[in-house]
Amino acid sequence: MNMLTRTLRFTSFTLVEYVRSGRILVELLAGVIFFYIFLRRWTSSPLPEYFFSTAGLFALALTFYSTSAALGLGDRPQGYLLLVRRLGRSGYLLGFYLAAQAIVWGIYGLISLAMALYNPIQGLDVRGWLLGSLPLLLNAMLLGALLTLLAPIVLPATGRLAVLALVAIAFSGGLIGGQTLADLPPPVTAAINIARTIFSTPLLPAFTGFALSISRDYSGIAFAIPLAQLFLTLGLLTMAVYVFARREIILSGG
Amino acid sequence: MYAIEIENLHKSYDGLPVLNGLNLRVPQGQVYGLLGPNGAGKSTLIHLLLGFLKPTGGTLRVFGQQDLEQVRGRIGYLPERLRYHLRYSGREYLRYLGQFSDLGGSGLNARVEQELGAVGLLEAADRRLATYSKGMLQRLGIAQALLSDPDMLLIDEPTSGLDPAGQREMLDLLADVRGRNHTIFLATHFLDEIELLCDTVGILFAGKLAAEIDVQSLRAPGRSVLIKVADLSADLIERLQRISPAVRCTGREIALQPSTPALQAQVLRVLLDADAPIIALEPQGRPLEDIYMRIVRGEPAELPAAAPPHGMFAPPGHPDAITRVLESTDVTPPARSGSGDTLLRELLKQEQNPNLEKHEPESET
Repeated sequence: MNMLTRTLRFTSFTLVEYVRSGRILVELLAGVIFFYIFLRRWTSSPLPEYFFSTAGLFALALTFYSTSAALGLGDRPQGYLLLVRRLGRSGYLLGFYLAAQAIVWGIYGLISLAMALYNPIQGLDVRGWLLGSLPLLLNAMLLGALLTLLAPIVLPATGRLAVLALVAIAFSGGLIGGQTLADLPPPVTAAINIARTIFSTPLLPAFTGFALSISRDYSGIAFAIPLAQLFLTLGLLTMAVYVFARREIILSGG
Repeated sequence: MYAIEIENLHKSYDGLPVLNGLNLRVPQGQVYGLLGPNGAGKSTLIHLLLGFLKPTGGTLRVFGQQDLEQVRGRIGYLPERLRYHLRYSGREYLRYLGQFSDLGGSGLNARVEQELGAVGLLEAADRRLATYSKGMLQRLGIAQALLSDPDMLLIDEPTSGLDPAGQREMLDLLADVRGRNHTIFLATHFLDEIELLCDTVGILFAGKLAAEIDVQSLRAPGRSVLIKVADLSADLIERLQRISPAVRCTGREIALQPSTPALQAQVLRVLLDADAPIIALEPQGRPLEDIYMRIVRGEPAELPAAAPPHGMFAPPGHPDAITRVLESTDVTPPARSGSGDTLLRELLKQEQNPNLEKHEPESET
């Protein structure tokens, strides 16, 4: 039995617990509310762009909740009995990540099915749905990987602050502290601009993936966007597994 | 080969030392008890052995491996706190845990059924763990720890927080496990557990191994024994006191001080011949308790037989090593101290087979 099989079995173990605990009701309820408010047939059938932009944001919000909830299950004393087995630390961490992804993908699938049954999207066939869903779900995977890296059982508080600082620098200017940054002395502004360029580059796949999901236009260099999303996801997960494998484990929650 | 080898191990939390130069070796197949007060670092040591924590200094090897990932799956763990995933049934839970230990197919099912049967949980196997009593969860703990037939068991405070009945049940289960020839490393602050289950006890104090004692040497005769009888006639008292000046009769109690196996057998024979109803045979004083209390109070402790210097380990064969009293092949767990009936049977067995006494160390007091 290899590591992948063990990890998948642990994913199934986590999903069963997640469902039996009733936590899944939160996601289901959120899906129903989202569908009722944003996707129910009000006047005419929605356009694909509307569906993918709203569903993309919903999937990210859902990923945030589900990944946090699933990783919270990992910070309980029960985890010691699992970590002592051949499953190991990497299987343990990836199992929670995959369980959260399965929930997000499942809810997204249910919403898409509900749309197909009750409010078909104008001019969207299965191929179009797949092309729009791929970058959307890859973005969910990317955000899930980042949240896994930032989980308290993986990164200590100082590490989390450092990563969040890098993200803040990447978003600086446009979203954070625009005027304040402009008023800083020119050398500082130049340094921040360089740092922003460096640290925002890894975020490009996420932003472009969101746009690709809406446009579904894979012509030119756009076909590389899902690959970039995938590699960035794998990079973040590798980093999370690496850090988790080397840190002390003191499970406290529950 | 040693199951555990620890050299000059240091561990601190935020600069506060918990383990402070610990040296310890546990040979394979041994049942080793680590005794220490609360907060001595016993659980910390177990988590270091499991690789959950990293040493601040020193070396730690399990089955010769310093990289503990290499021995993952060879260790069974019974944690102090019985926390399980309560939304599964006992059978489901063990099957999942077996899968995480690379068991599968019919072999896994057979192991699960075997362990559930061994701990008496077959009938409740399909009930959710949330409905299990604390005693049932204790039994499940043993089953999960043994599921993958590990080479070594790490057991952390197995009776902590349990009522007397729960403690008794747990000790009975562990006594059964003792006969399965695993290396067992048991951390506890209860002397009874050590006396009942262990071959060797190490006393952890101030972050170091303050003493290491062969538990069999603590059970050796030669200390005072009190025999309680329902009736003791004047004639019988006279006959008993004629045996030896070490025999003193008070009321319905007969004190043997000092006691020897021969003297005990002689006194018991007189009592049995006289049809005197024997109520109890109790060893007086608990040497392990005395040693432990002296160490914890910082007083010099007199160890039975030759003991290694404080804080140092003397490997077998070393002049400082403690001589075993009985052969290690005697895997039958001894009864708890104070169990007069069992002692009586052991003494009569010794009388029938005097060769057993040849194993007594010369230096025994």
